[in-house]
Amino acid sequence: MTAGAPSPAAAPPAHPARLRVDGVHVHFGGVHALDGVSFEAEPGAIVGLIGANGSGKTTTLDVISGLVAPQAGTVRLDDTDLAEYLPEERLGIGMVRSFQDCRLYPELTVLDVLLLCEDAREEVAVFPTTLRLPWARRAEKRKLEAVDQVITAFGLERFRYHRTAELSTGTRRVVDLASVVLAQPRLLLLDEPTAGIAQREAEAFIPLLRRLHAVADTTIVLVEHDVPLVFELCSQVVVMELGRVVAAGPPDVIRADPKALAAYLGASDEALQASGPIGEGGGPGRDEGV
Amino acid sequence: MLAFSAPNFVLVQGVFYGLGYGLLALGLVLVYRTNRVLNFAQGQIGVVAAVFLVKLTADFHFNYWFSLALSVGLAALVGAGSELVLRRLFNRPRVLVMVATIGLSYVLLALTALPFIRPSNLYKPVPVPFDLSFSLGPFIITPTEVMTLIVAPIVTVALVLAVRFTSWGLAMRAMSENADSARLSGVWIRRTSTLTWTVAGALSAFTAILNAPNQTSALTQALSPDLLLYALTAALIGAMINLTVAFVAGVGMGVFLEVLAWNVPSPAKQQLVVFLVVMAVLLVRVGALRKGARTGERSTWQHGAVTTMRAGVDRLRRRVSTTGMWLTVAVAVLLPQVLSVGNNVLFSQICIYAVVALSLTMLTGWAGQVSLGQFGLVAVGALVAVHLGTSLPLPVVMLYGGAVTAVVAIFVGLPALRMPGLFLAVTTLAFALFMQTAVLATPCFTLPGIHKTLCTGLPDPAYTVLQRPTLFGLSLSSQRAFAWFSLGVLLLSIYMVRIWRDKGVARRLVAVRDNEMGAAAMGIPILRTKLLAFGLSGFMAGYAGVCFAFATQQLNNTDITFDPTTSFLVISMIVIGGLGSISGAVLGALYLEGLPAMFGSNQTIQFITSGLGLIAFILYLPGGLAELLRRAGDLVALGIRGAGDRMAARRAGPPVAPSGNVPDMAATLVADGAEQ
Repeated sequence: MTAGAPSPAAAPPAHPARLRVDGVHVHFGGVHALDGVSFEAEPGAIVGLIGANGSGKTTTLDVISGLVAPQAGTVRLDDTDLAEYLPEERLGIGMVRSFQDCRLYPELTVLDVLLLCEDAREEVAVFPTTLRLPWARRAEKRKLEAVDQVITAFGLERFRYHRTAELSTGTRRVVDLASVVLAQPRLLLLDEPTAGIAQREAEAFIPLLRRLHAVADTTIVLVEHDVPLVFELCSQVVVMELGRVVAAGPPDVIRADPKALAAYLGASDEALQASGPIGEGGGPGRDEGV
Repeated sequence: MLAFSAPNFVLVQGVFYGLGYGLLALGLVLVYRTNRVLNFAQGQIGVVAAVFLVKLTADFHFNYWFSLALSVGLAALVGAGSELVLRRLFNRPRVLVMVATIGLSYVLLALTALPFIRPSNLYKPVPVPFDLSFSLGPFIITPTEVMTLIVAPIVTVALVLAVRFTSWGLAMRAMSENADSARLSGVWIRRTSTLTWTVAGALSAFTAILNAPNQTSALTQALSPDLLLYALTAALIGAMINLTVAFVAGVGMGVFLEVLAWNVPSPAKQQLVVFLVVMAVLLVRVGALRKGARTGERSTWQHGAVTTMRAGVDRLRRRVSTTGMWLTVAVAVLLPQVLSVGNNVLFSQICIYAVVALSLTMLTGWAGQVSLGQFGLVAVGALVAVHLGTSLPLPVVMLYGGAVTAVVAIFVGLPALRMPGLFLAVTTLAFALFMQTAVLATPCFTLPGIHKTLCTGLPDPAYTVLQRPTLFGLSLSSQRAFAWFSLGVLLLSIYMVRIWRDKGVARRLVAVRDNEMGAAAMGIPILRTKLLAFGLSGFMAGYAGVCFAFATQQLNNTDITFDPTTSFLVISMIVIGGLGSISGAVLGALYLEGLPAMFGSNQTIQFITSGLGLIAFILYLPGGLAELLRRAGDLVALGIRGAGDRMAARRAGPPVAPSGNVPDMAATLVADGAEQ
């Protein structure tokens, strides 16, 4: 029987991390997925990666989270070179990634999904659990309290006992974000958090992500197709094209940069309006441009 | 390790058996490819045809070829009919469908007893159309074998060509890749699926008719678990996709087994080798299996009516549950006092089976690992009890038996670390077959390296009588005392499993089952969690085995208790009870052990009730008996609330509109029903 030792994931230092991606090359066979990608995320910044399909945004996230090993270049968290870290070890140094499909666990309730995140941080072995030893009871109580706070913060009370299979994609994403907060990340990688949810819900994501950013006190790197959302939310925008960074800077600068506009938007202005001003009542443009 | 040698006729014999396994494997692969169903009734469909063939030729004196056509037609019809019955299950958890096919095989077994199928002379061999035989050295190859050697390859080639070149084959292949997409491209997936089962049925008829002549009676259960195991292994070697590889692997399996039997006389050692070989095959083929099974596995547990944890109901409803539970416990505690001796034996039996079912609930219901060898684990515990006897205090023996079994269970579960849970059915089946022979008197194994001999079997070849121990100075020798003891063990087990369900163990198991990648990204240790499931389950099955040995007291080597079919029974229990539900496991044990006892403990009735019962339950009550219980609880709560409101209204004087609570409850009920 595997009565596991306490999880080694000791509480990481709470401050947000600085991410530095330097000259990263990734080739799949002859295809240059990433061709010398470099950018930097200041501690506490929200960095948005935008670019057309196939421009290497998701590959960049894969490299940062360790799922893809780069042929050249480095990824540094603060001053640590991440080359030596396996993907599963990166959680321990404060890196958390949410996936595009956001499947979660269909048969678990929202409460259980969130408790599970706490389990990962503080595993209680089976033996003390079975015997209801005092520290096991205390740990379970502590987890429940932490989860309760997050549930309240994200307005999930209604769904507390709903199985995740019953939730809409939007709600599932909120649960996913809530579980991210529990993991106490220093660097958070979000892969298209608004994919597959309605425009109206996507608009609600802006304040939600802001709150997440404030509560979790973390650096965020965000891959997103909804350009207005990125401009609205991010302190820095990185525009990618064919595996290269073509422009990087604050949203205002990027908005004015014709090269960046051409890279991402092509000729269409419509996509710029996708998440347009809320007052417009939804507006005509969904993000067909993508 | 062993120098294997074999004369020619052993090889020929092996090829002959192997052709049978190969044909069976073809049917398994066909059905799995189309519907992602491991069809445990594949062999049994053909038996109906073989029996019918004897009926037609022996009783009605029909022409052989005409009879053959009719029988194969009947098998095809049975295949199609099975598909129509099981169709609505195809997008439900795979394990449910698999258990439904086990139920189907029992129903088909009953079908062969129908008067218009059952021949008047049961011991009439299946006829052979020609009398052609030749000799190979001292060994004569019989007409049956000649027929097999001719027909089986022809059927296989025809099938492979059909899959490759006919429109049905194309549709089937498209469907197995992506059913939704195939459907939108104009493939009639239902028709294709029915057709596949029809073909598989006909194939099964060939298997049984070719194999039947060397069976003693036409009415044998062709789905003997070992035959199924060999065919499944062959199908797995073909990655459940490749027909040719599966067929050739089947032939290879036949040769391998014959050579093994020629060189290794002890059945226990043979089975051990088979078990290890099956494990090895799975580990080697796991990459291909993962690829083939990906789409199917992803939907394995979704849309199931599995509610492992159900919280968040209101206080009244919870109080109804608690009251009901304590009332049940009180009745159960009083029951042994009033029961007769015989019924107390049954009572103990049910309690112990319930503990075994609980152990499987964790493993299959929560962790998603399908085990067809749970009773093999019970056998391990029972053997520990036999060897330790009363030399140690009973609780120590139970803990020791549990610990040993946990280690065995973790070993058996090792392949699960790398492959989808459904295929574990195959290795666990091999394990069950091994344990069946391991309880024989003879097995002694020389451990490699340290040259120590380990004897697993019963000490006395003919008959072992086990004295019952005392517990804290109290004698358990009376059946009544033992019934109370068994109940105590069951209650303790329920208490333990409830803790695991509510306090963090179950959610880890379910998370790893539902989304392995996600759980890993979240930081849940996947390996440890999977092994934990096997360890806990094995521990529980182990101490249940200790109790089982002391309950039975008389163990002998002709005992059929440790037959793999008992493991089928246990998995049926948890499905009938409601997969993943604790009360369901207990109710399932009560239903499958208690109900047959009411009908006089007749084996046939037991199989029929469980077979038909299984299919009916899975089709119409996916949540199982546990769901019935839950609905009953809902109704009681509803009634109490209604009565309370009426009383309050009467006290308040003039009639007022009923409180909003009642419709609310009703709405929840409706919603719950809809959700199922």
